[in-house]
Amino acid sequence: MTCFALLLAALFLFPIQSQGLLQYLGGPVWSVARIPLEVIASIDGGIANRWQQYVVLQGVWEENQQLRKEIEGLRGQNTQLRELATATERLTALLELKERERPTMVAARVMGRDTTNRYQVIILNKGESDGVKPNMGVITPTGVIGRIVKTTGASSVVLLVTDPNNAIAGLIQRTRDEGIVEGAQQGRLQLKYLPLLSTLRVGDRVVTSGLVGDFPRGLGIGTITYIDKQEGALFQSAELIPEVDIGRVEEVLVILASHGQSGQVAGGVDLPGKP
Amino acid sequence: MKFLSYLILVLLLVPVQMTLLPHLSVGNIKPDLGLVAAAFVGLFAGEMDGLLVGFAIGWVLSLFSAGELWLSLLTHGGVGFLAGFVVRQVSHVTSIFVGVLLLAVSLASGLLAAVTLTTLDRAQVWQMVGAIVLPQACFDGLVGAGLYWLLSQRVQMARLRTE
Repeated sequence: MTCFALLLAALFLFPIQSQGLLQYLGGPVWSVARIPLEVIASIDGGIANRWQQYVVLQGVWEENQQLRKEIEGLRGQNTQLRELATATERLTALLELKERERPTMVAARVMGRDTTNRYQVIILNKGESDGVKPNMGVITPTGVIGRIVKTTGASSVVLLVTDPNNAIAGLIQRTRDEGIVEGAQQGRLQLKYLPLLSTLRVGDRVVTSGLVGDFPRGLGIGTITYIDKQEGALFQSAELIPEVDIGRVEEVLVILASHGQSGQVAGGVDLPGKP
Repeated sequence: MKFLSYLILVLLLVPVQMTLLPHLSVGNIKPDLGLVAAAFVGLFAGEMDGLLVGFAIGWVLSLFSAGELWLSLLTHGGVGFLAGFVVRQVSHVTSIFVGVLLLAVSLASGLLAAVTLTTLDRAQVWQMVGAIVLPQACFDGLVGAGLYWLLSQRVQMARLRTE
């Protein structure tokens, strides 16, 4: 009872020091705990893969045909976009704008999910020894996943973009209106603080604005599914469906060093974690 | 021997809670096996063992979570201690008793977590209570009661408690 009281008192009186100490001691414990975790996670992953490949095949042929048609359409669009990209590149060079640097990234595997239901979190198998630090952005080639909130030597905890405690600066790709994307219930997102005059539509894509935080500009966040514009309100908001199916993510990329552009735009101050 | 079994329990809880339980979740809600395990240690080995093992479980699980460390320690250590303390005060422990104890602790822990999340507004807190905290408390209570009932069918509880 005494040690319980002492520990709690220490946690309340010296929260940073005591939690830091326990976090430090947690490094070796993590190394031991990850052994059974990795074994069970790989068995679980193997079973899930077999299930996906051989058992759940209903409707795959129809989906395949539909996707082939979609690919044909996208190829055409891709060609047009390449042309536009070339033109943009030329114009950018003409305007002597600094070419955007590619962010340095490290690939990581998802080992598990949050031990509680209260946070939407994934655990990665890369940590401080790989250069991963809190607040770094986590993405997939499709779009944004979340940000690192906790690290140990060989692991890190990612707070997903769908968690209500997470917020990212977003931009509607078509209208260029900026807002804040926050997590909402049932795996949805909410785009807040949009100007009332914004002409957003259902189906508009929202991407990272690159102005604040460790995400480069232009990464997919989600697609607008519902617009909330109330009379008398100062702003309008929208509900988004995330770009990435977060429940099925297996591998991710952690942005170790983002481009220099965003730090400069945000008032010329070097943001933490910027090169 | 006791220490080794506790160590194995703590180390096995992590992968089970993180990788296997999501498959058994109902409406995206999974039970907190750490809470159940700490309560069981308290029930069968006394409040001191319950407290210390609860602390260990809370600490290790918090390494794999975005949650607050103090809350995890308080909840898991607290339930272990409480279970050990309460079991000495009652003559006969039933599965319903275990279920209600776990439900109450889980509910208290969830409410505390929801209230301390400063990033959420009031509506979001209530939404979290309705969608996550309450169902999880019920789930924890049910799992605890079910496990205790299963154990009581197999083992003589009084003998287990005196060992």
